Amino acid sequence: MKLEIDNDDLKHGLLGLVMGIVEIVRDTLRIQSVKRMESGTLTGVQIEKLGNALIELDRTIDKIKEEQGIAEAVRSVRDGLDDLVNRMVDTVADPAGVRKMGEESAFSRKIAGGKR
Amino acid sequence: MMEKGLYLYCVVAGNETRGLEIKGIDGQPVLTMPIDDLTAVVQECQTPIANDDMKILSDLVLIHQAVIDLAWERFQTIVPFSFGTVVVERDGKSKEENLREWLERESETLKEKLRRLEGKAEYGVQVSWEPAKMMEKITRNDKEVRSLQEEIHSKGTGTAYLLRQKLERLVKERMEVAADAYFKEFFQGVRGQVEEVRVEKVRKEDPSRQMLMNLSCLTPKGETSKLGEFLDRITKIEGFHVRFTGPWPPYSFVNF
Repeated sequence: MKLEIDNDDLKHGLLGLVMGIVEIVRDTLRIQSVKRMESGTLTGVQIEKLGNALIELDRTIDKIKEEQGIAEAVRSVRDGLDDLVNRMVDTVADPAGVRKMGEESAFSRKIAGGKR
Repeated sequence: MMEKGLYLYCVVAGNETRGLEIKGIDGQPVLTMPIDDLTAVVQECQTPIANDDMKILSDLVLIHQAVIDLAWERFQTIVPFSFGTVVVERDGKSKEENLREWLERESETLKEKLRRLEGKAEYGVQVSWEPAKMMEKITRNDKEVRSLQEEIHSKGTGTAYLLRQKLERLVKERMEVAADAYFKEFFQGVRGQVEEVRVEKVRKEDPSRQMLMNLSCLTPKGETSKLGEFLDRITKIEGFHVRFTGPWPPYSFVNF
């Protein structure tokens, strides 16, 4: 499929999404790298190389975000994912709340155009 | 499609036949419907009652609040409903019949709630801290933090980067432990001064502050001097802020 991006919104959305995921991978790499460093299996030279590689990755991500003007889009992707996870945690923690929402009966809570 | 409904504001004890002298949503009169020694405060409405326009929505919430405030003033004890509770025609029964059936079915629960809420009001307690100030305070004398900071200065850039990640996590951990300890201390202090407490979700504030605790407290209306004294002690701790609001109708202690 050929994807033609001629719309700024679409570009921001798509690049923002991709870069958001890249950032999440980067965060995981950071955590794993610190764990490796702490495990004592790496030499000083290897630790230094690993750290420098991550610095390079940070710079590249920042550069792309700045050049493409997608810093805001990336932030909103990540905030959106945070909210999603929070909601999931709430649902697991409070199944009664979900059940209550299912019991509509004679009550209507349609406030804004069918949204809750 | 628009449907006709009964917008439910609150339920009060006894049989009240006089309506409230206030205009409700869409300028409709606010009525009282006595049923089985309870009275529902309602109005006729269209449902859905609003669109996605935030301005309209916030005006409606203000009307909801104003009606409930008036009802609270008039009847002293009410079971308030959250914004947007509408009883509709369903299963071949009119909206009035559905409301009556529901009130009859929940009669005992509602009366019990009204007894429990009599003469009481809700107060909001929100405690925030300034993370930057607290971080400094918490890590100032922390040996592990200090030695990591020193190590970072002595290493090459790559290693320093990884050590900084480690430091960040360590500080975050320390902050979480501190937040937990403060929460427990404050929560117990507040609980000792009021009848009931509910822990609410913390909300996002401006980046310089972080909400640590959001409580709804139920206490006899006006009896807040001891709670106030305790909260004053929190405000005196460096880096902490307290927001104390109320009296409110007991929204958080109703569970409908």
